[in-house]
Amino acid sequence: MIYLDNAATTKPDIRCLNLAEQYLIENYYNPSALYAEGYNLHKQLVKTRSDILNLIANDWDYQLVFTSCGTEADNQALFCGGKRGNVVTTAGEHSAVFNCASEFKERGIEVRVAPLNDDGKVNIQSLLGMIDDRTSLVSVIHVNNETGAINDVNGIAQAVKAINSRALFHSDGVQAFGKIPFKMSADVDLYSVSAHKINGVKGCGALIKRKNLIIKPLICGGGQENGLRSGTENVFAIKAFEYAAKSKYENIQLNYKFAQTLNAAMREKLDGQFFDIISPADASPYILSVAAKGVRGEIILHEVNDKGLIIGTGSACSSNDKKRYSRVILACGIDEERADGVLRISFSAENTVEEVEEAANILNETVKMRKEIME
Amino acid sequence: MDKVIIVRYCEIHLKGNNRGFFERIFVENMERALKGIKHEIRKQSGRYVIEGFESEQASYITDKVKNVFGVHTLSAAYKVSTSLDNIFEAVIKLAPVSGTFKIDTHRADKTFNMNSMQINAEIGGRLLEYNNNLRVDVHSPQAVIGIDLRENGTSLVFGNLINGVGGMPVGTAGKGMLLISGGIDSPVAGYMMAKRGMRIECIHFHSYPYTNMQAKEKVEELASVLAKYSCGTVLNVVKVTHIQEEIHKKCNGDFMVTILRRFMFRIAERLAKKCGSQCLITGESLGQVASQTIEGMTSSGSVVSKLPILRPLCGFDKNEIIERSRAMGAYEISIKPYEDCCTVFLPRHPVIHPKMRDVLEEEAKLDIEALISEALNSLEVIKI
Repeated sequence: MIYLDNAATTKPDIRCLNLAEQYLIENYYNPSALYAEGYNLHKQLVKTRSDILNLIANDWDYQLVFTSCGTEADNQALFCGGKRGNVVTTAGEHSAVFNCASEFKERGIEVRVAPLNDDGKVNIQSLLGMIDDRTSLVSVIHVNNETGAINDVNGIAQAVKAINSRALFHSDGVQAFGKIPFKMSADVDLYSVSAHKINGVKGCGALIKRKNLIIKPLICGGGQENGLRSGTENVFAIKAFEYAAKSKYENIQLNYKFAQTLNAAMREKLDGQFFDIISPADASPYILSVAAKGVRGEIILHEVNDKGLIIGTGSACSSNDKKRYSRVILACGIDEERADGVLRISFSAENTVEEVEEAANILNETVKMRKEIME
Repeated sequence: MDKVIIVRYCEIHLKGNNRGFFERIFVENMERALKGIKHEIRKQSGRYVIEGFESEQASYITDKVKNVFGVHTLSAAYKVSTSLDNIFEAVIKLAPVSGTFKIDTHRADKTFNMNSMQINAEIGGRLLEYNNNLRVDVHSPQAVIGIDLRENGTSLVFGNLINGVGGMPVGTAGKGMLLISGGIDSPVAGYMMAKRGMRIECIHFHSYPYTNMQAKEKVEELASVLAKYSCGTVLNVVKVTHIQEEIHKKCNGDFMVTILRRFMFRIAERLAKKCGSQCLITGESLGQVASQTIEGMTSSGSVVSKLPILRPLCGFDKNEIIERSRAMGAYEISIKPYEDCCTVFLPRHPVIHPKMRDVLEEEAKLDIEALISEALNSLEVIKI
């Protein structure tokens, strides 16, 4: 089976699992417990927290709060940051942010959604035009999970702060962390990451926040994570996350180049008769969005699945038209006909060029055959 | 004092010589619903009493049994050995804390030294003394406490009646093959026939890869809801993708649905005969969509040569069907937005009043037998 849906999740790195195994079997203590075994675990988590944090920020100014996933990190950032006035976000957000914004509307907070350019990046001028002195929070996705479009998060954050220095700036970095070389600038207040997108395990994410930023917790309880996220820590998943993140950052440049090679191979091999490329040329090399011409994405997804290829899709066999098309793809100016055929091909450093070429062949053949039947 | 549940049945008491047959199946179905729970079901002149269960299971058992077809009403009750003191002790447990009440006694045990009216007065009087907040209202009481003095020296004391789903025990009226989709209507059609005692087997048609696995899962979920009432079911899943593709390629596209439905009915009849089903059941409602006109029904029905086609929803409005779907617990599943028959090939203007001559002419362009056997080869049988 060729796995090219790495933006959905990645295969856990067995080396990381082996290293973390002891925290599942032997070191199973509660890190909040007062006896030595628990306390030792607590100390290790302090170190882990700082080690992961230092990969993209500095632990003088920032702190890291472990959460159960990227979605929770996004929710914590939005609901604890967006309190009053208006919240500004983009049409290219992941549902974890976009649907929080919808909830804001219910709560009487105005939500302003900045449009995207055709290349999938947020239209910065529009975004900045929406910010005023009543803006409490701005959230801009770092790497879009459907198109791979990269927003200049540090640059946008700086421009936002120049207009309203009190507005909080959040970015969903789930598709960027461990993949795109990046360090958080002082203008970014909150940043969400996830473990299973970088070969960690599911059930673990983190919110990175400016230390002196006082926010209320989303989950209250025993006061773990400095009171910001109560609940007994998922030590095994956190340790696996640490090992995976370190491994990714050691090879970040190398992996990035390799992803570019895989991406280029796919772009080259896909037959232009059957596919349009949706992702912009300067998108994250890890994500390639394409549109099959005249065939619904989900049909291709099933057929290539039967032939040994796993990919993602931007459309679904839904009888509800509003749910059928990806709102992000439509926001990039893609018409409904093309949006119906959108597929997401996403790579990891574990893929090979041969796999990618084989995948392109399967995709070409499948669309060709399906078009013949359907026309 | 033991907690018991009284089960009263519907039409079975109208049966004559074959009443035993209906009662046996009714008990079997209740036993099936209570599989894995310690209990005993005893017959007591015209009703059943479930006893011998752990007292905390009472409401769970009530919920299970009230959905067995044939159940008219149920009551949670206490079984005591007959004496006024014992009966009163049970009455206290069932009495409301305030408001109006009525004691309603039936005395099968004619040897007891008080008649029904006297018992009503005695127990009612004691209850009024026990709780000052209660008042008697024999015409429209807020709570009725029933007392049933049996001939075996025991009495049943019970509170309000809980309505069962009614109908006849499943398994007393043959077996039908339900054409089930992921929509609202067909599960209700299956429910209606099961309610009249029919065992149900289901057949579902899918068009993978044009439809997805979630759509099939949705149908499995619907069949599971139906199975709760129909004492289990079997879901037969048949792939009709190639049939759709062939119609698309060779026939006038406006006839897609008409011809496809004829294929579905043919396949359903063949499978029905194979598994002993005596009729086909559909969720068609006259005039609801293009294919459910009288001409559409004639066209699809004419390919079924031997079996009757039952359309229990034919005269219902959509709202009435939705109401029933909600009541049986299927509606929230039915409205999930997965397509169960692909819209890719759907014509913009389907024929609404197909003429048989035209249908046959279009259909003649296809190798019907080959397509049917190919579809039947894809059969997947899921026991639910």
